[in-house]
This record gives sequence, C-alpha cells and structure tokens, in this order.
Amino acid sequence: MSEETVELGPEIDPRIFDSKEFQKDPFPIYKQLRDHHPIYHDRFHNRWILSRYWDVDGAFQDNGSYDRAMYKADGPYDFGSRHVFGPNILEYGNSDEHRRLRNIVAGQFVGQKLQDFIPMIHQISEEVIDRFIDSGEVEIISQFASQVPIRVISNMLGLPREDEDTFVTWYQDLIAGLGFGGEHLMRGLNARNEMWDYIDPLIKKRSVDPGEDLLSRICTAEIAGSRMSSDEVKGFVALLLAAGGDTTEKAIANMWYHLMYTRPDQMELALSNPDIWENVFAEMMRFDPVVHAQFRYTTREIPLYNDVIPERAGVILYLGAGNRDERAFKNPDTFDILRDDLHMGRENRSGRYKDGKNGHLGFGIGQHFCMGYAMARQESAIACSKLAARVKKPRPKNMVHPGISSPSIDSGGFRSPEELIMEFDK
Amino acid sequence: MKVLVDKEKCFMSGECYYNHPELFRMDDDGYPEVIENRLDQDLLRHAEEAVQVCPAGALKLEK
Repeated sequence: MSEETVELGPEIDPRIFDSKEFQKDPFPIYKQLRDHHPIYHDRFHNRWILSRYWDVDGAFQDNGSYDRAMYKADGPYDFGSRHVFGPNILEYGNSDEHRRLRNIVAGQFVGQKLQDFIPMIHQISEEVIDRFIDSGEVEIISQFASQVPIRVISNMLGLPREDEDTFVTWYQDLIAGLGFGGEHLMRGLNARNEMWDYIDPLIKKRSVDPGEDLLSRICTAEIAGSRMSSDEVKGFVALLLAAGGDTTEKAIANMWYHLMYTRPDQMELALSNPDIWENVFAEMMRFDPVVHAQFRYTTREIPLYNDVIPERAGVILYLGAGNRDERAFKNPDTFDILRDDLHMGRENRSGRYKDGKNGHLGFGIGQHFCMGYAMARQESAIACSKLAARVKKPRPKNMVHPGISSPSIDSGGFRSPEELIMEFDK
Repeated sequence: MKVLVDKEKCFMSGECYYNHPELFRMDDDGYPEVIENRLDQDLLRHAEEAVQVCPAGALKLEK
C-alpha cells in the first residue's frame, strides 16, 4: 500500500456518485479521490472508497482483510445473484466452496482447452461480419459486438447451431432483466427458466455420455473427486451469459469507440496490424474498462493513511480510478495502444509481470480475478482484427458522439456506449 | 514428496498461491514460494490439485 502524504483538497459531495455527470465522466472525481481522499468515507452511502493503483491492487491481493461476500452467522450474504442465476460462484466469497467451484471451471478457459475453441471464434466472427459487410454501414453494438460472444458461448457449450438464434434471444432478455429490473426482470427470469428447461436434459445426457464441448466438460470436470451439481451447472451457464457474454460485447464496443473517437490517429495502425488488437484490448481495459468498480467487505479493521476502515464495512475498489493513477502510468489520461509502461497480452491473477510493467486492473487481481480473462482478450482481439481486415476506409458515421456512460458505475454497472455506427466503403 | 516450482515455465498466474495459501505464498517478484513441504494426506491432495490447476505447467511433485 502506498503511504505518501496526502495534500488536503476540496471536499467531495457523495451525492455526486449518483449523478449523470459522474456516470458519464467519472475521471475528474477519480483524480480528486486519488489526490486528496485516497481513503474516502462516503457517509451518505455508508461505504468507503479506495482509488489509487497500489491501494486497489493491495486490497485485491489481501484476502485476509477483504472478502467478496458479507458473512452472516449462517453463511454468506446473498447479494442478489442467486435470485437471477441460481447457485453460482459469485456468491461464495473467499470460502472453500468458491475455490471448489472456481477450480472445476477455471481450467476450461485457459491454455489448450481455450485454444481448441479458437478456430470456431474465427469462423463465427466471419459469419457475423458476412451479414452486414455489403451494406457499407454497421451499428457495432447490435450487429457485431453483441452477436459474436453469445454465438461463441453457444458453440462452446455444444448447443445445436439451429438453436443459436433462440439462445441469443434468451441472452438479450436475461441481460435486460439484470440491467434494468422492473418489468424487464420478469422477462429476464422467464428467459432464464426457458433456457434451464432447454438445457436440463442436455446436462443429464452429457453427464453420462460426454463429448468435447464445454457443457460436457463442466458436467464431468472433477476436482478432488467432486463434480458440479446439476443446479450448479445451470447457474454457471446463466452466469456465463452475463459474465462472459455481456462483458465481452461491451469490451469490443469500447475498443472501437476509443479508436473511432478518442484516438482516430491510431486507427490506421490498428487497421493495418492484426496483431495489435491485444494492445487495443489492454489499453481499453486500462483507460476505460467495462467494469470500473468492485465491492468488498472488510473482515477486520484496516488502518490506512491515518484513518481506519472498520470491520464489516463496505469498500468500493475503483479500479477505473487506479488505472488512471499517475503513480502507475505516465500520462494516464492519454489513450495509447503503443504505451510502453502497460503490460500487454496475457494478464495474471497475481498482477505481477516478468517485463516489470504494470498491468491494468480491469479484470481485478487475486482470488476473484476474472476467470474468463484469456478468453475475453483473445476473443475480442480476434473479432476486432477480423472486422478491421474486412472494412475499407472505416469512419464514424457521426462526427460527434454522446460518449460512453454507465447506468450505475459504482455498483458494478457495465460501461459502454449505447450506439456506435461505423461507415465504410463497399 | 515435495512440490517443485519451475520458474522458467511459471508466468505468475497466481493460481497456486491464491488457491492454496497453506502451501504457497507470493514472493516479492510474483513467483510462488513453497512454504510447506511436510505433506500429510490432506496437503498432498491440495498439492496434487495445485499441480493439476497450474496453467503454466510449472509445478510438479517429486518423491
């Protein structure tokens, strides 16, 4: 943890965190937090905030002090995900149960098992592009970014290709239900139930007669003799759509947004170099990642900067702020895919790299580091490089864009533009 | 039995020390350091799991 002196600065009104202004452009507030309130007690929302790179990193690393779940006497506090997804890995905090579930599935998304799926990602990207390439225009989010990841997941699970469009509809309803609640929530839950009814017989079948697909692998993967239950498999599939589909969709959108509007002068470089898309991904994950905040609960008192966070307090780790910290990156407010102080390529759960550079915090760090990190990076880079190779002279349709926003940035709301239209020569 | 770390292969994914703090800890450079080599039956099971889960194939058990 950094313990440099803090210069006093203007107070921050905690109601700012609920404002449209903050959701659209949180970065000036992030800087005020880092410079003058590196430990900020938000009395209005009853929570604490950390924002400097090394403090966010340190909290992610420190499992003894920060837990992902709040524990009650009889087990972890249910913070809603069970309601939508069923039993799933997000609920089990730092427990042994979390480790068991994570280890059963984590291995499916890295290394050779991931490489097995790569040719299919190439093929699906091309198919999605085929649908609009002759029109000279694409709305990147609905026609491209939201299409690739969900079709990839459907194929990974080994669902029949003729069911892919149905799967896409369930996905859209489920995500809408999660994001907006209210009437959408019912739609989301209905979609989930339909999907579970559909997948239930498949789970039974593949548990006894497994193939090479992800669903078979999840049904039969064993860690220390233990498999996932049928309900856990279903919960995981539902979670996969949100955590694996929606996030990747928004990552792809954010990559194109920043090339089109933030650094159009680097667009040419990206169009002419298919290998550079992993850099675009890494820099997007630093500069303006899909997820800006993670929530933790303290398991003990934490003294920091002459203040003390009490035990059992809620803490927001603003990784979106840590990523813009001058203490970790030069000119942090510049989007630069050639940045020499950011680790590009394969990320680590440890956040430490042999090249000595700092990594982005976009996947978190430590025990709850994003399980799908390698998949997200490779899939985003492949899909984007395919699109780049096929569009001629791409340019934004509208020279002015309302910008990226987030419905609720501090509760883990995913950040991405609402619409992104690109024109290109036919 | 003893757990060995191949630092050439290791890419510091952290899987071993986050899953098994009873066996490993992260050293100052991000590599795992084995902190317990007296492996009873339970710990041996944990060590085997760590070897299986390591995405770099950098861990092995040696008699």
